[in-house]
Amino acid sequence: MGTLSLQGLRKEYGQSVAVERVDIDVGEGELVSLLGPSGCGKTTTLRMVAGFIEPTEGRVVIAGQDVTKMPAYARQTGMVFQSYALFPHMTVAGNVGFGLEMRGVGRAERDRHIMEALKLVQLDHLSERLPRQLSGGQQQRVALARALVINPEVFLLDEPLSNLDAKLRAQVRGEIRALQQRLGLTTLLVTHDQEEALTMSDRLIVMEGGRVRQVGTAEELYENPADAFVADFVGRCNIVKGTIEGSAMRSESGSLLPCRMEGAPANASVLALRPERIAMQPGTDGSGLTARIGAVLYLGAQTEYQLDLDGTVLTAIRPTPQDNDALRHIKTGDTVNISWDPAAARLLPA
Amino acid sequence: MRKHETAVFILPAGLLVCALLGVPMLMMARISLNHYDPMVLMVEALTAENYLRAVTDPYYQQVLMVTLGVALSSTVLTLLLAFPAAYWLSRMESRWKSTVTILTLFPLLVGNVVRSAGWIALLGNDGLINATLQEAGFIVGPLRLLYTPGAVIVGIVGVVLPYMVLTLSAVIEGIPRQVEEAAGNLGARPLTVFRRVVLPLATPGVVAGSVLVFILCMNAYATPVLLGGPQFQMMAPAVYDQFSRVSNWPFGAALAFILLIVTLLMTVVGSAALSRKYRAA
Ligand SMILES: Nc1ncnc2c1ncn2[C@@H]1O[C@H](COP(=O)(O)OP(=O)(O)O)[C@@H](O)[C@H]1O
Ligand SMILES: [Mg+2]
Repeated sequence: MGTLSLQGLRKEYGQSVAVERVDIDVGEGELVSLLGPSGCGKTTTLRMVAGFIEPTEGRVVIAGQDVTKMPAYARQTGMVFQSYALFPHMTVAGNVGFGLEMRGVGRAERDRHIMEALKLVQLDHLSERLPRQLSGGQQQRVALARALVINPEVFLLDEPLSNLDAKLRAQVRGEIRALQQRLGLTTLLVTHDQEEALTMSDRLIVMEGGRVRQVGTAEELYENPADAFVADFVGRCNIVKGTIEGSAMRSESGSLLPCRMEGAPANASVLALRPERIAMQPGTDGSGLTARIGAVLYLGAQTEYQLDLDGTVLTAIRPTPQDNDALRHIKTGDTVNISWDPAAARLLPA
Repeated sequence: MRKHETAVFILPAGLLVCALLGVPMLMMARISLNHYDPMVLMVEALTAENYLRAVTDPYYQQVLMVTLGVALSSTVLTLLLAFPAAYWLSRMESRWKSTVTILTLFPLLVGNVVRSAGWIALLGNDGLINATLQEAGFIVGPLRLLYTPGAVIVGIVGVVLPYMVLTLSAVIEGIPRQVEEAAGNLGARPLTVFRRVVLPLATPGVVAGSVLVFILCMNAYATPVLLGGPQFQMMAPAVYDQFSRVSNWPFGAALAFILLIVTLLMTVVGSAALSRKYRAA
């Protein structure tokens, strides 16, 4: 396994720029994910690493070697495609063995490696099946085994879970991460699903409009978002526009919201507050902020409340109250007192 | 809708085929067993003499061989020319794709006879090529270009090429690009990707296109007559000669059935062999 370094990567399609000034370093054995909304340039970036498209500018360095001009077949990357892209006319063993065959590995040794790789993904009993005789989850495992068996320098995953149903997704997520850590795979993962990125990655790169917005661990991004886009995209967040007044923010509808002033950037124009940081008390005692409950959404372990502060709408998420809890009987239309630690409400640039 | 209800949909086409193809074929089959007399022409009989003559007469053996040779080489040549074009067409991403697809069909607007007349103007002794070469002083007398098997093959390929390109590109279109990329990612060079992935997956198109084109070539009429000249004989013109010039209907019908059977056999054997070769790759 090697390292991966993207330096000043840029890709233009005619007049439009798909990827711009992307600098990424993935350390040995590290899993870094590219997270961003659809169309932000994640796949384009990944495909430049694999060598399917040539960057307009910038360099791709794999294991210390500049491979920018190297054709895809000569690069040591193992890619798992969103659509799996299995060879439909070859058996599972044929698919997994293809890369070894291309490397001139002899029959006996090839078979041994194929079975090892299939054992790794628990598919050794299906080696003679054709891809169309497998379920989606099994096809995905074949794609994983096929990419791993060639011992690539970097492992590339393009939305590997997007074609699986929700239940399977959570399971495969854990399996891929376990495999990646056990084998120490240097991995670049592309996803638009923040939960996937948060749970699987050592570090995340949030992209938007072809550019990198922020790089950091899941915790760093969640606790310390660089801007409103990252705050909103990673986890859920209340974003309120307004103007700063003393040590609070005056929202456009006139509510005065306490917030943390220290460390606020000069160009700050929004307040970002995580829904789980908002506390609520039933009734009003005249002090603090008062909100009307706009909706109560029961989510099982948690309950989500839509709060209306004279036109400013906030979302609060609380553990679902116990039977003896005063919040238990709150319903739409009730009035509550709300509060939060001002340190939890950050001022960010838009 | 249940099965026997949808069956109604094939009725109009089915009836048409029965009336216009089935009935004449049955009549031809019957005629091919009749006896031919130069004085009274056709005499009702039940004899295999026409078939025997068709397969034993060296002249007609030769005609059949020429037909097979021309059809096979035209099919192979068409396949070789059409595959790269079809690949390019089906992988095209620009907005001109539909325009190019329609352009592919354009040659079909020019009928075989008109087209062959054009070829004569190009290839003939006084044609454009010979005139230009002579004018430029490269040759003294005209080159023999027209009335050669080569002219016939080139002419036929020109006619059938669009069918092959469209059949192939429809199938190649269905091969996901990512599957090719996956092969590249695993270390396969472009030619290996073609041999191990594209070609096997395109086999249904290769078979369908080749069968279609081979049948068209076996039955070519206008092109061999106009570009092959009087000395050059293929089966379809030979059948026509028997019916219209010699008025030997029984023999003409026998020749027609031999053409049909040979075409059918070649098609079945050829497509089975092609499919087998690439199914387990
Ligand atoms: N072949 C192409 N030609 C033109 N534009 C493209 C091409 N591929 C991608 N793009 C554009 O580049 C941008 C980034 O695309 P992509 O990398 O696929 O995004 P993501 O994977 O993040 O959804 C998009 O706006 C897309 O329309
Ligand atoms: Mg994508």
